[in-house]
Amino acid sequence: MLSAAFLQTYIQALVEAPTLMAIRATELVFAWSLAIQTLEYLRMGQYTADDAFWSWQLQRADIPNAPVRALLDVLFKPHMHQMHLVLRLCAAVALAVQGASLPLIGFLFVGNLLILIRWRGAFNGGSDFLTLVVLTGLLISQVVGAFGNAQLGWQAGFWYIAIQAITSYFMSGAVKLLRREWRNGSAMTIFLNGAIYGPLSATHPLRNKWLALVGSWGFIVWEILFPLSLLDPRLAAVFCAVAALFHFLVFWFFGLNRFFWAWMCSFPAIIWCSAQFSARFA
Amino acid sequence: MTEVLFVLYFVVLVGTLVFKTPIIKGPWLFLLRAFFPNWKFFHAVGYVPHLYARLAVQLASGELQWSDWGLIYPRRVRRLSHLVHNPDANIGLGQQNMVDHFWADLHDLPEGVDPRGLVSYKMMQRLTEQVLRARDVNFTHRQFELRMVLDGRSETVDTQVMMTSPVEAASC
Repeated sequence: MLSAAFLQTYIQALVEAPTLMAIRATELVFAWSLAIQTLEYLRMGQYTADDAFWSWQLQRADIPNAPVRALLDVLFKPHMHQMHLVLRLCAAVALAVQGASLPLIGFLFVGNLLILIRWRGAFNGGSDFLTLVVLTGLLISQVVGAFGNAQLGWQAGFWYIAIQAITSYFMSGAVKLLRREWRNGSAMTIFLNGAIYGPLSATHPLRNKWLALVGSWGFIVWEILFPLSLLDPRLAAVFCAVAALFHFLVFWFFGLNRFFWAWMCSFPAIIWCSAQFSARFA
Repeated sequence: MTEVLFVLYFVVLVGTLVFKTPIIKGPWLFLLRAFFPNWKFFHAVGYVPHLYARLAVQLASGELQWSDWGLIYPRRVRRLSHLVHNPDANIGLGQQNMVDHFWADLHDLPEGVDPRGLVSYKMMQRLTEQVLRARDVNFTHRQFELRMVLDGRSETVDTQVMMTSPVEAASC
């Protein structure tokens, strides 16, 4: 009964104040995603130590500019880096509790760039890219808001996030469609065999040629059709629900837990933009 | 008008997949590539770089007794809790990304240039050292190899050696 009352309140809020709901949902999921990433980074100190293979003493040679290299030498000293990560964790908590503000998002944005450089441009590929997309969207909202138009700021920020996220699905599907190995289903089996939790067992269903073919085409078609999610917010919710399942499967087979949370952060923006875009046809 | 622009945007995206354009490269572009994502995940099946290494123990006679070549590749045990905390698998994935970077650096290296100057080469040295040390703390020498492996549905179809490092003394 309590959950039914909560659900009713939630839906009412979604209808009456969709922008506020989308803002809060983005802030909360993004804070959660950042916290997960940061806690993982904090556990990786042994791999970034001076004698480890991710040592800054080795990587600093990548930096072409001497003054910048000197600055990064200071910032990437192991204890400084750890302190930055602790502050980032606090900032994620502040984002969840208080919501976005320009100093908070500015700190997270600059800190995120530093972390990317520390890991040679990307630690986890796509999830780093989408984390930066959401952070950039939040930064747009705060910068535009600082000039006096918060509504316009969130609108611009949400559209930036939504367009990038929809593009990510569309491109990912389109590029697979152009590959023969994806069209005949063999690519899925080959990638799953090479995954961190692989290889697939000899009797695994995805070794079946026809099942792999159906699975491959299912994901290709769903990814390519993702732009249609902008036509109706209910359709967007369905696309996002399938996306959540898709990202869970990617986590289950490839261990990419950060992808799951990073893309979840974009769902409120996609649904909000879909509501705004579809209203043009009403 | 917005709808037309929207459709045009996706047509341009498809165009970028069909028509190849020159790739702009640079150290800062590499480090800040997260600003320019191409969103191409798991798309191409083909030769994949794999890192192999072997260790040796120096005998009293001075001869080196070598182990077999072993693959350095992250394999982990799956748990549902990893959805919220998965540092071990993520560091393993990062390690494999580093092998990919090493392959890309070698591929781009001008003819005649010593790869030992590459940052990614030095990282491979450290990675090899760390993994081999976990296998045998007493090894005295090591060597690594970058192999390009073509996998089929159920077995490896072809393997080609791209680079073999010189035999190097182990770090203490």
